[in-house]
Amino acid sequence: MTRRGETKPVTDSPVRENREQDTDNRLHPWLAVSDLTTGYADVQILWGVSLTLEKGKLTTLLGSNGVGKTTLLRAVMGLLRPWAGRVTFLGRDLTRNSPHSRAKLGMVLVPEGRQLFTEMTVLENLELGAFSKRAHAHYRENLEKVFAMFPRLAERRHQKVSSLSGGEQQMLAVSRGLMAQPKILLIDELSLGLSPIMALNLFESLTRLKEAGLTMLLVEQNVAMALAVSDYAYVLAHGKIWLHGDPRQLLKNDDIRQTYLGL
Amino acid sequence: MVLNQLLASLTDGLLLGFVYGLAAMGLSLIWGVMCVINLAHGSVIALGMFGTYLLFSQTAWNPYLALLAVAVVGFLTGTAIYGAAVHRVINAPHLSSLLATFAVNMIFIGLGTAIFTTSPRNLDYSLGSLQIGAVIFPVTRLIAAMAAILLTVALYLFLFFSRPGKAIRAVANNRTAAELMGIPTSLVLASSFGLGTMLAAVAGGLIATFFPFTILSGGPYELKSFVICVLGGLGNPLGALLGGLLLGGLEGLIPTFMPVSWVPTVEFVLFVLVLVLRPTGLLGAR
Ligand SMILES: Nc1ncnc2c1ncn2[C@@H]1O[C@H](COP(=O)(O)OP(=O)(O)O)[C@@H](O)[C@H]1O
Ligand SMILES: [Mg+2]
Repeated sequence: MTRRGETKPVTDSPVRENREQDTDNRLHPWLAVSDLTTGYADVQILWGVSLTLEKGKLTTLLGSNGVGKTTLLRAVMGLLRPWAGRVTFLGRDLTRNSPHSRAKLGMVLVPEGRQLFTEMTVLENLELGAFSKRAHAHYRENLEKVFAMFPRLAERRHQKVSSLSGGEQQMLAVSRGLMAQPKILLIDELSLGLSPIMALNLFESLTRLKEAGLTMLLVEQNVAMALAVSDYAYVLAHGKIWLHGDPRQLLKNDDIRQTYLGL
Repeated sequence: MVLNQLLASLTDGLLLGFVYGLAAMGLSLIWGVMCVINLAHGSVIALGMFGTYLLFSQTAWNPYLALLAVAVVGFLTGTAIYGAAVHRVINAPHLSSLLATFAVNMIFIGLGTAIFTTSPRNLDYSLGSLQIGAVIFPVTRLIAAMAAILLTVALYLFLFFSRPGKAIRAVANNRTAAELMGIPTSLVLASSFGLGTMLAAVAGGLIATFFPFTILSGGPYELKSFVICVLGGLGNPLGALLGGLLLGGLEGLIPTFMPVSWVPTVEFVLFVLVLVLRPTGLLGAR
């Protein structure tokens, strides 16, 4: 476990064709956020946040309510303009790119509050997830995968989203993200408002996705469950990364146990 | 005899209703997709009339060929209006976009008045008449009604069954989510504005084939379009067409029972009643 000091800006070399085969993740993280500063109007929320996501790893971002986790994800996706700092994805600086162009490149957010297309059917939501050309090419195979993972969605494919339960809507939100053929999947509050069984169900799906090689960043209220499945964890406090490290190490930290686990 | 009279008035109104519906569809599309009430709607209808008229009278194009050109120019004009006036206020409070489109309206009407004056024009074009039962109609009005039906069905199929159409509905439903799914929302908004403007211009062109007009003639159609949007609800072209038919039918029938000047009164009483009792429209699209 390390206290995070200044992070060196990560390499900004152009994308190489063989990047996906790179084994040295430390040198070539899939996503690197460096010294990100942002906020709303004149209220600064993030004061220089740096983190990296490595290929095939499930990383968790912890932090108490209102600390700025959603703000960070919005800035990473480009929904919120960074005041300073950089977002590098697969070696490319995307700090100034629009959200839709990031999505096309494979950076996909499952947003807080689901943000589904509520006036449309389940299937239409999934189709729209695969809107980009790259994702559209994998439409059939991804649809099968998603339906195999969540058979409930297959049964309800022609129903309107508004007729689904909260748990089903969250399944759909994750599935719509998967339909986008993500290279990294950012998930904001996976289990918020769900029953424990439903939450467990979704966490199991995440484990399976990780085994299939998907790179993920998870923001989650259920700290115990999140740490149990993740490979690495960051803790956001007072607008900065306060702690980061191996989840098992973090679980031994007294501050963490008190603040986030109530032990 | 009275029945025949009634039937003739009703058919007359319904035929016009199709075109009202088409005009309203443009307003409804823009309103539904981006929550912008396009106050330049009426002047675009008038520009569609003039576009068709000019191509017909200056270059002797067939008016229906001219309509194709009007459609293309209408689409481009719409995207230009979006880029110049609407995009910068798309996230601002409604008053900003009302003022922006109102400004566009004033520019169009000002230019139109300067260039064409306000003396009425008409397309000297006829395809003869057709007798349906006891009722006789100019063929141009039948064609206009058929064109309206065709465009409604085409728009419906486009919005509900094509990929770009679904992208438009996605942007209407949740713009942030659409952007997150890789949909270029600004482009979709500009195209939707273009499409709405195109429909209004084409409706204007069709009207010009049977009614005289001035640069101010779009105004009444704009008002009717508001009523129709409220009757039919937003987001579904079929709703706009049905709303148009309802309004047209009423307009046909009312004058047989009371003075013509009562038409707008009845229409707007209906407008207020629907707003109060069924704010999602008679079809309840939303
Ligand atoms: N749109 C906004 N405008 C102004 N302040 C906001 C906005 N969204 C969030 N905030 C503030 O930013 C802080 C961080 O919010 P958020 O990123 O949602 O926290 P978290 O996701 O960690 O719970 C909170 O104090 C919140 O009140
Ligand atoms: Mg949050």
